[in-house]
Amino acid sequence: MAATLNLKVEFGGGLELLFDNVRSHRIALPAHVPSSRVPDSGSRTPRPANITFLIHWLKDNLLKERAELFVENETVRPGILVLVNDTDWELEGEGDYELKSGDEIVFISTLHGG
Amino acid sequence: MSESCGNPTVESEALMPKKIRFDRSTTCVKCKEQRGCLVIRHAVYCKDCFSALLPTRFRKALEPHINHAPDGPRRRALRPAGNLLLGVSGGLGSAVLLDVVHRTYTTRAVACDGVKGGREHPRGQKVWSTIRAAYVEVAGAFPGMKDRTEEVGEAVKRYEGIEFVPLRLEAAFDPAWWARVGQTSTADVSVDLNAEGTSLLADSPSASTPLDSLRNYLGRLPTPTAVQVAIAKLIRVLLLYTAHATSSSHVLLGTSLTSLSISLISSISQGGGFNVPQTMYEEWFPPGAERATESWRGEVRVIRPLRDVGTKECAAWAWWHALVVVGKERRPAAAQTIDGLTRDFIVGLEKDFPSTVSAISKTVGKLAPKGGTCGRCILCELPVQTDAHEWRARISIRTRSTQSDVPATLASSVALAPLFCYACHTTLTSRSSRSVAPTKASAPPPPPIVQLPVWAAAALSRLYSDTATEAEEIRTGGDRNVGEEVWKTRKLGEDEMRAAVGEFLFDT
Repeated sequence: MAATLNLKVEFGGGLELLFDNVRSHRIALPAHVPSSRVPDSGSRTPRPANITFLIHWLKDNLLKERAELFVENETVRPGILVLVNDTDWELEGEGDYELKSGDEIVFISTLHGG
Repeated sequence: MSESCGNPTVESEALMPKKIRFDRSTTCVKCKEQRGCLVIRHAVYCKDCFSALLPTRFRKALEPHINHAPDGPRRRALRPAGNLLLGVSGGLGSAVLLDVVHRTYTTRAVACDGVKGGREHPRGQKVWSTIRAAYVEVAGAFPGMKDRTEEVGEAVKRYEGIEFVPLRLEAAFDPAWWARVGQTSTADVSVDLNAEGTSLLADSPSASTPLDSLRNYLGRLPTPTAVQVAIAKLIRVLLLYTAHATSSSHVLLGTSLTSLSISLISSISQGGGFNVPQTMYEEWFPPGAERATESWRGEVRVIRPLRDVGTKECAAWAWWHALVVVGKERRPAAAQTIDGLTRDFIVGLEKDFPSTVSAISKTVGKLAPKGGTCGRCILCELPVQTDAHEWRARISIRTRSTQSDVPATLASSVALAPLFCYACHTTLTSRSSRSVAPTKASAPPPPPIVQLPVWAAAALSRLYSDTATEAEEIRTGGDRNVGEEVWKTRKLGEDEMRAAVGEFLFDT
């Protein structure tokens, strides 16, 4: 079992400004959620990394400023579209989608007005 | 059901199963073959069907309004009366609007090459002879804000066949711009905002440049909400006159379904309910022109062709077509305004109840305002509701400034309130409870006297047809050529009030 997952993470719609103005990142994410992140830490089986964990990881490791514009209530802020391998994350189970190595996750802000 | 009686701390996840956000299956509802890529208000679409859906919605919202006279039962070829002006802000909706207009109307002739009918068939002709994209830069209003004109210009230039028209917000106070759009220059007109819209004609304090006038205008408005609303109104009228000057019969805005719902709720909450129909679709005509019936006389139709497309769809379109979204600068205190709070509420609502946002727009679109109109507002050029100010005078609590607040040279004044629409009058005068509360500052603030935009000054000039004598007429309470009475309001002393109501007082 791989210890890390190699993912491509991209930001669009102005969200890249929060991430050092870099649109595309290649990251190595821990394959399992650390026990400190799991509310029910009594469970012995490690929980595989999902998008909710990725969001927290991005917030802790890549986000440079104004976390409130990216994260709200343990998920992304309303108004941010998430694509998992070019598919709306609502079709993939949203934050519960279990990540695989090679996945491409895109976060696009829709809050830049019209 | 027995689980519901369990320990909630242990079984919290079991108790709240996550609601699925789409109907039926993950297969596209349109082609029923491919796996879906995007959920739009509970319906699943694949990328190909979505790529066809958005331009279809765009054309369905726009094309019934292109021909000057409405089509009968048989649809005719699209023949607009004038050119096309796109109002772009650099935001997501604008980027999608530019892209879809370019795909639909500048590359259509090429796309039709293989279609039955030949090269000379009307279907192959361009619908619009000239397409322009106007951008109004607001950086001047806020010192330190980044000017994005160049970036937006670069984004527009990516689309061949669309001409870029840069504008600045301070043009609203610039007689040179007013002359460039073909209008006659007039004297400056100022308003004392403390006196509920009392004009101070001809003796306006000399603000040296249009930028100073703009900053003075925005700086004297009573609330942060009023500042945001005033900027939006200035941009709208700047676009309308630019459209008129460029012989454009249509102005398209990139307002998405989400933005439209935000705008409608926000506008209604600020007294703009009477102008809801104009938010959905507007036909503006230049000053002095009558509303035409058969032939085009320079009217401008303002259409929001993305009004059935949510921001989520716009974001997906922009990503899948690699569009450049310049973005907008954050305006100071924008998050605390009614518009900002409404935006937060609607965007949050859209996440869990996406159909509700659509319902807002659809429901408000069916509203018809009560009462007739009496002319149009000199500030926003939207219809003014008959007797709105009489109603307001009856129900509102007012604070009157003392005469000493007004400089002696500007003491001659006339009530302008009936010439503003209810929403504009509210924007200019309605203070929040915090701004009304007494402050600890010892020095009184300067009187809020602001110069009006050039079109408002011109409208007043038309009302008082002889500009040379207008100030004198006002001072002497002279006749307005509209033949209406001039009402003056002033604060009465205690003795005067007692004398006025004396016969109704009880002896104690």
